[in-house]
Amino acid sequence: MDHVKLVNDPIDIAHIHQLLADEGCGASSVFVGTTRDNFQGKKVLSLAYEAYDSMALKEMNKICSDLRSKWHDLKHIVIYHRLGTVPVCEASVVIAASSPHRSEALESVSFAIDQLKTRVPIWKKEIYEGDNNGEWKENKESIRPKKSKSGFNYAACPCKVEESHDVPRTLVQIRVNDAELTKRLECFVNRKRDEINSQNVVDFKSSFVSSDKDLSDSCARTQSTIIKQEQSNCHLKVRRVNNRCGPQQMEMRPNYELELNKLMGSRDGQTDPTKEMRKSLPNSRLQAIESYMGLTTDNEENIFSRIKRVENRLLQLESISPEYKHFTKREPSSMEAAPPKKIRKKSYSVQELSAFIQKIKNVSEFI
Amino acid sequence: MNADGPVVNVHVLFFAKSRELANTPRSTVDVPTEITATELLDHLVSKFGLTSIRDNLILAHNESYIDNLSDRILFKEGDELAVIPPLSGG
Repeated sequence: MDHVKLVNDPIDIAHIHQLLADEGCGASSVFVGTTRDNFQGKKVLSLAYEAYDSMALKEMNKICSDLRSKWHDLKHIVIYHRLGTVPVCEASVVIAASSPHRSEALESVSFAIDQLKTRVPIWKKEIYEGDNNGEWKENKESIRPKKSKSGFNYAACPCKVEESHDVPRTLVQIRVNDAELTKRLECFVNRKRDEINSQNVVDFKSSFVSSDKDLSDSCARTQSTIIKQEQSNCHLKVRRVNNRCGPQQMEMRPNYELELNKLMGSRDGQTDPTKEMRKSLPNSRLQAIESYMGLTTDNEENIFSRIKRVENRLLQLESISPEYKHFTKREPSSMEAAPPKKIRKKSYSVQELSAFIQKIKNVSEFI
Repeated sequence: MNADGPVVNVHVLFFAKSRELANTPRSTVDVPTEITATELLDHLVSKFGLTSIRDNLILAHNESYIDNLSDRILFKEGDELAVIPPLSGG
């Protein structure tokens, strides 16, 4: 049953519980709104309610029927509102509902108090300490007039879409969800990457790779191509790096040594690799080292072998004696052929020593 | 308000601040049988001195709120209007 009332006396909570009671109900929910003694720091001396009675009751009944349509199992609903002066800390409104299970009772009461504050024509005036006029309160949930401040009647205007401002026509609006957007961005990034890679290949590829080879598996760094092994019946693809520049490809680069020597040598712009040029090359530094070490110089030879020979010589001499350099002979062949023998310590027997001492004695006798 | 049609006399109720400004809880007013809500509001505001709270007022006709101020309202003799400032129940 719906119990809706505007009262002028203190609300009797016990009576309301009686109204809610029912054998089939396991739950009742009661909301009590009480008056506060302060608002925004001001002390409330007294407050009073007034209502548009007939319409207030009508709206409160509408709330009850709303509740019943949303929560079917509600048994009893009570909405009591007190009017006139209400002393501080007393109940001004009580909303209650009972139902078999608690969720309906709890939710419906919460909904009902919100609705009451929005729709029911009741007003409260508060009188504050030090202010004789008092103030009519306003619920933030209260219904408000819908028109704009300017009073402009939008409904009377024909609808016209403004296209000429803000958005440039070159822009397109795409409405997609996050997953789609991420996917599109990813595709774009990948495509751009591939584009850059293929551009790199075109920019950096070496001239000796035939241009009609398939470059899809190539990037600018490896220049790899697919070459099928000759006389191979295998249908597996063999990928071999066709790198003509590395030191492992020496046999394919007969002029490699020459080119390397060119790198080591002068940068005076002479590009003609003749013997004459080589002679005048200031590999003179290496020549100087070699002659000092007592080695033969041969400008024809690979520069690395020459350096290696020098290193070997150094190691050898160091192993002999650390002060070798003061005794270096300038005939390399003889030096190489007969390295100085190491002095070996000889151990003498007792008889040899005796004989030796005897000899000395004999010699000293002659002196 | 243009008196280009039949006019009826209706009751007007004032509440809260509007009652203080109008200085009376109820009165009567002549209205055409058909009028837009905006015009009605303007008429009431000017007649009863409610200009200061005009933008916050809602009207109720026969205990039903007039939600849109562009609505057309049809009056009969003896209808009840109410001037409703923002609510503060609960």
